[in-house]
Amino acid sequence: MNVLAEICATMDHCLAAAWVDTRTRVVLEQRATRDDAFIAPVLEAVTEAMSSRERPPRMVLLSADHVHIAQRLTRDPHRVLVVICARAANLGLVVAVIRSILDAMEPST
Amino acid sequence: MHAFAAEVIHALERVPTDACGALVRKHADGAMAGALLVERGRVCWALSARYPRRLTDVLVAEQDTLTHAQLDEVFAMCHRDHMPLGETLVARGLVSLPVLHRALLRHTCEALDCLLREDASAWSWVNHRGHGYHPLLTFSPTEVLAGVHAIISPTLAARALARLRQVVRPDQAGFAIERNRGAKIPLAQLHCEDVDLVTLADLATHADEVMAVAATVGVQVALAQLGGLACASWAEDNVLFVLLCDGELAFNRLLAQMATMTNKA
Repeated sequence: MNVLAEICATMDHCLAAAWVDTRTRVVLEQRATRDDAFIAPVLEAVTEAMSSRERPPRMVLLSADHVHIAQRLTRDPHRVLVVICARAANLGLVVAVIRSILDAMEPST
Repeated sequence: MHAFAAEVIHALERVPTDACGALVRKHADGAMAGALLVERGRVCWALSARYPRRLTDVLVAEQDTLTHAQLDEVFAMCHRDHMPLGETLVARGLVSLPVLHRALLRHTCEALDCLLREDASAWSWVNHRGHGYHPLLTFSPTEVLAGVHAIISPTLAARALARLRQVVRPDQAGFAIERNRGAKIPLAQLHCEDVDLVTLADLATHADEVMAVAATVGVQVALAQLGGLACASWAEDNVLFVLLCDGELAFNRLLAQMATMTNKA
């Protein structure tokens, strides 16, 4: 199964998952569990935040209703996985699951 | 103030880390306007021709059981016998180390604030020989600049420090800066004494940029992994707060803390 589809299908409270490119600021691929107008501007803002000079490997952005998790792929640092969940999600679990999914995609050292 | 303080930061950056000496400003006639004494990257003392208070004035203000007569007697003895004043005051039990530390920092910050306002030359470095100050009675540039900022914006700085005391845990560090300012000078800090000013300014710039973008989609708190450091930032009115945490599971611990904080809000 596609990674984004897997995240949307298996992660409780997941609203959307996407691959974005921080160099071009383009959404490469996107899956959403429902059609929400807020997803596009959120992806844009998260991409912008991940494009900062410090190039953080991961970020979590908390709003009143949502949590936005972004994590960079080590083998392709411009490529970032973004997952948007409802605040009701178990944050620790969501972060750990995303990390393990990306770890599985990285070449073993 | 921010432009002047930025000059101090740049001047301090150019001082070799193991050097001992003074950053000096002069008037047009060549007379010294004041100086900032530095040893191994730490600020020891500031002098300003315009600053009228003596350390004994500040000590009496900090600890009302002290009298000028007591201090003048010790001062005269130290002067005569070439003894260090601070250490002697502590050794004689006249002041505690925290009170002396606070008084020295206040005196240094107030003198530096006066010196920054002087119409004087750019900073120049004068090397001294030997090291004379006890490391416990010297200050990091971060402490000093936060102290100067607190003199200029006392209410805002006191509020920021009170907020930091609410949220910063013993194993964390935190600082606050005013937003929409050019130079990133700390308004208040807690446990950031050893974070150098350049790192602190970089963290502040990053946090400010991220929060500016994130706020457009209603984000209240941003957490980022920056090297081995987990960093949380949020804005309250015009003040940006940054919380730093390192060590194992730092990011997860900070995430849990911020989730609780924003749930309460």
